[in-house]
Amino acid sequence: MLYGALLMVRVTTFQTQTCLSKDGGGQELRTNIEGFLCEIEARAFQIAVVNTRDADEALDIVQDAMISLTCGYADRSEDEWRPLFYRILKNRIRDWQRRSIVRGRVMSFFGGQEGEDYDPIAQAPGAISGNPFEVLARADAMRALGQALGELPRRQREAFVLRNFEGLDVAETAAAMGCSDGSVKTHYSRAIRRLREKIGDYI
Amino acid sequence: MDTGIVKKDRDFEERTKLLFDESVAALNGETRSKLTQARYRALKEMKGQQVVGWNRRWIPAGVAAVIAVLSLMLWQGQVEPANDGGFDMATVIDLEILLTEVDLDMFQELEFYAWLDEQAELTSGQILEDGIG
Repeated sequence: MLYGALLMVRVTTFQTQTCLSKDGGGQELRTNIEGFLCEIEARAFQIAVVNTRDADEALDIVQDAMISLTCGYADRSEDEWRPLFYRILKNRIRDWQRRSIVRGRVMSFFGGQEGEDYDPIAQAPGAISGNPFEVLARADAMRALGQALGELPRRQREAFVLRNFEGLDVAETAAAMGCSDGSVKTHYSRAIRRLREKIGDYI
Repeated sequence: MDTGIVKKDRDFEERTKLLFDESVAALNGETRSKLTQARYRALKEMKGQQVVGWNRRWIPAGVAAVIAVLSLMLWQGQVEPANDGGFDMATVIDLEILLTEVDLDMFQELEFYAWLDEQAELTSGQILEDGIG
C-alpha cells in the first residue's frame, strides 16, 4: 500500500515536470530574460574587463552574475533586472578585487609574481574592422581609460561605469549601488572631473 | 558653476561613452561565443531551479494526498492495523516473556510442553470414554 502511495507521489512529480515544460508563462519568462541577457552581456563583459583587465576573469564574473540573476531574481519585474544585474556584477567585481589583493600579497610573500603566465598572443584583440591605426589608437585610449578608472575611489568608479558605460539613469544607478540619487550625482560628477583632468587630452 | 568646465565635462563624457561603445562593438567572435555559452548556462540553471521550485510547492499537496489515500484505505478495511491501541501485540507478548519470573528454558521447550498437554488431554479423554463405556 505504501509503495502504491509513493508511486502516486512520483506520478504527481512527473506530471508537474511535464506541465512545466508546456507552461506558457515559464517559456515567456525564459524568452524575456534571455533577451535581456543577450542585450547586456557584451557591455557587462567590457565593464568587467575594464575592472579586472583579464578577459577570462571577466567572463567568469559575467557568467556568475547571469546565473545569480536567473536563479535568484528572475521572478522580479523586468524593470528591476537591469539595476539588479549591475548590482550583482558590481559585487562580483568587488569580490574579485578583494581576492586578487589577497592573492597578490600571498604571491609576493612567496616570491612569485602574479600574472607571470600572461600570454600576449592569447590576450591579443580579435579581428576588428577599420583602419589599423585608428583601432590601435582606440585600444590605447580604452586602456588608458581603464587605468585611470582603476585609480578612482571605488564609489566614483562604480557611478561612472554604470552611468556612462552602461547608460543607467540616476535612479537605476542608485538602486544598483545601494545609495541615494544625490550620492550618485556627486560621485559621478567627481569621477568625470578627475578622469578629464587625468586623461582628457588623451581621449 | 563655470559653463566652460561643464561643457568640457559633457564633451569628455560623450567621448568616453563613444569609446566604450566602440570597444563593445569590437568584441571578437570568440568572446561573443563564450558569452553566449555563459548565457545558456545561466538559463539552464534557471530552468533546473524552476523545476525544483515547482515540485517544492507541490510537496504539501502530495503529502496530504498520501495521507488521504492511506486514511481511506484504513477506513475501508483494506489495510489491517498493525497494532491495537498504539501497541504492537507481538512486542507486548515478547516483553511479557522477558519480564516473567518463569524459567526461560521452559519457553525454549514450548513445543514439548504443548505436546505433553495434548497427550494429557488425549489420555483423559480416553479415560472418560473408557469410564462411560
